[in-house]
Amino acid sequence: MRLPKLAQFIIIVGVIYGLLKTPGIFLGKPIPESLIFMYMVLIVATVLLVMTSTDESTEELFRPIRALVEDPKKAFVRNIVFAVTPLIAGYIAYGLASRGGEPPAELRSIHPAPPSRMSAYGRPYDIATLENPLRRTEKEDAELFRSYVAEGAEIYFKNCFFCHGDKLDGRGHYAHGLSPRPLPFKGKDTIAQLSESYVFWRVVKGGPGLPAEGGPANSSMPAWEGKLTEEEVWKVILFLYDFTGNRPREWAREK
Amino acid sequence: MRTVFIFISILLFSATAFASGDVEQGKPVYEKYCRQCHGKDGAGDGPAAQYLNPPPRDFTLGIYKWKTTPFDELSPSDEDFIKMIKGWPAHNTVPGWDGLNGTSMPGWADVLGDNDTKDVIAYLKGLSGLEAPEKPPIDLKVKVAPSKESIARGKKIFGDVCSECHGDEGRGDGRKKLKDDLGARTWPRDLTKPWTFRAGSAPVDIYARLTVGIPGTQMPSFADPQSKKTLSDDERWDVANYVASLDAPYKKPGEGAVIKAVKVDGPLPDSPGAEWDKAAFESFYLVPQIIEGERLFTPTLASVSVKTLFNDDEIAFLIEWDDPTDSVPGDASAVDLSDGEVFKDGAAVEFPSSMGEKPYFGMGSASKPVDIWFWQNDGTVRAIKAKGASIVQDVSNGVSARGMYEKGTRQVVFKGPLKREWREEDAQRFVPVAFALWDGSNGEKGGRHTMTGWNSLVLGGGEGGSPYAWAAGAVVVVFILELLWLRGARRKDK
Repeated sequence: MRLPKLAQFIIIVGVIYGLLKTPGIFLGKPIPESLIFMYMVLIVATVLLVMTSTDESTEELFRPIRALVEDPKKAFVRNIVFAVTPLIAGYIAYGLASRGGEPPAELRSIHPAPPSRMSAYGRPYDIATLENPLRRTEKEDAELFRSYVAEGAEIYFKNCFFCHGDKLDGRGHYAHGLSPRPLPFKGKDTIAQLSESYVFWRVVKGGPGLPAEGGPANSSMPAWEGKLTEEEVWKVILFLYDFTGNRPREWAREK
Repeated sequence: MRTVFIFISILLFSATAFASGDVEQGKPVYEKYCRQCHGKDGAGDGPAAQYLNPPPRDFTLGIYKWKTTPFDELSPSDEDFIKMIKGWPAHNTVPGWDGLNGTSMPGWADVLGDNDTKDVIAYLKGLSGLEAPEKPPIDLKVKVAPSKESIARGKKIFGDVCSECHGDEGRGDGRKKLKDDLGARTWPRDLTKPWTFRAGSAPVDIYARLTVGIPGTQMPSFADPQSKKTLSDDERWDVANYVASLDAPYKKPGEGAVIKAVKVDGPLPDSPGAEWDKAAFESFYLVPQIIEGERLFTPTLASVSVKTLFNDDEIAFLIEWDDPTDSVPGDASAVDLSDGEVFKDGAAVEFPSSMGEKPYFGMGSASKPVDIWFWQNDGTVRAIKAKGASIVQDVSNGVSARGMYEKGTRQVVFKGPLKREWREEDAQRFVPVAFALWDGSNGEKGGRHTMTGWNSLVLGGGEGGSPYAWAAGAVVVVFILELLWLRGARRKDK
């Protein structure tokens, strides 16, 4: 049997709304309400357009609603609906009026394009070709590499973990008080997508070094240039990749 | 026959090893995840330890704070260990946090499986030679429901027994300086903020703390018959119910809160009082300043609440926060309670000097300066323009401030000129605003303070009408539309 048109309409709109809400409920990465509102307006309009393309389908879509009002046998259901609807409207109006506006959505690029060059520790760096000078020990001298990672861990836990967390998941002791939240290093969608030179730039120049699209005014990330030595930064970076089991992204080698 | 015997022995051995966890297997888990704070040998002296408040547990002592076995039983139950390691069930906590609230101990449930957890528990027990508990956990079945009567009885007992440390209103403003068994400074919990309770804030969790105590600290067991402060089982439930009722939900920061400044006619209030009832509090988490210069790693202040009023020329902020001490340098009782030298308590409000692209929230920069209003509890008031952390200049622009302190709550009213660009004719404009606080009895001075990032302040409200009026209007309009529709349908019928 076929579902009534009205039920189809409700299911389609409901499922899409559910999908838009999913990232917020299950992943903790909500889509801004204002954006969801815009999408839903478009979706409701589109579905209505399709469903009312012919007179019959329009008639079919609205028949149950009309029957509710016109069919005397449905008086009981109608009374309930007529009593509940104004209350829902009142509830929504109360919510809208007491909200007084949401904070302006700040669209922020989490990984903005780095400058091609930067100057730090009194010398210039070409970010496009920069490599972690300690990385080669991974293949050449495993013991030395392990000691670098261990030193990196110590530096991380003396400087970074208050915000970026014990588990490198971006949920440190003070993370909840910061906006934007500190970045995680765990998972395949974090530092595995970045080259070590990019991570080096983000650590050394911090929030204040971000370009405008990165939201430098809000970032609590210090510029570590004056606090950690160049070698310490590279060691921390070794630790970040090692602990999380991620591999840095590498430039394709020219053959 | 012999092979069968060996086989059975191995089976039995591995079965017991599985049930109680394997010390050898626990060691690598500990080394990877625990040692950075708790130390190589478990003595609570990892590289991070010196920056942590509360300090990480010293496992060699075998003293655990959050347990449900009786006060005269040293060992926590395995269930207690699992909770301490994997995290407390989500209850009244802060977003994204699944471990012990207000500490650096996260919940490890997403990293450690059941077996890893068992193994690491066996390893931890081995560090202090802790045996399995001989006594079963205390009975946690709710015995006294949180009725009005129970809460009233609890309040009476609280005043007699608990207020010395936790303060008359439970805001952590006790009259006693506390330290743990190792001599580290501890501050009594602010009981109006249940989201800062380490190990759960339901009456049953509070009952457990009252009954067992918090080992290693000055929070005693009130079930100990030797104690001068012994309470009966029912009395402990009454106190638990009362403490749970102290929750002040407005103090818990919400996500993406916007401060709604309310328009008033006539002059703005100079001090706290009934005029402020028109506006609602918005609350924000405080984090210690660990970015630049002298940093603070042991904050005492957890959140700040703000109300704002404005008229055509001026804007006023009521800033409220719980502070365990009124830090008056030189005052005898302040010196008694203070952790080291007493500095002045203080508060600051920060705005961008001009609207447009936001300045850096940490005191701006040369190209994008910020304005800061600053108050201290000796009456100092300053208006500052800052172009970076140490580049400040006093300006005179008619800012006044007045503060008061009562029973663990500090309120400060700032009043200053309203910038015209904050108000556009019709549109809502969001003004970035940030706050910083100093608790002088906690060594906070200069760069050592707590703070918020940029928040949004919107000037409006007042003229928009009450939300109740809007709700009533919507109900009436929808109902009339329904009646019209019904009448139309009836007409068509005829």
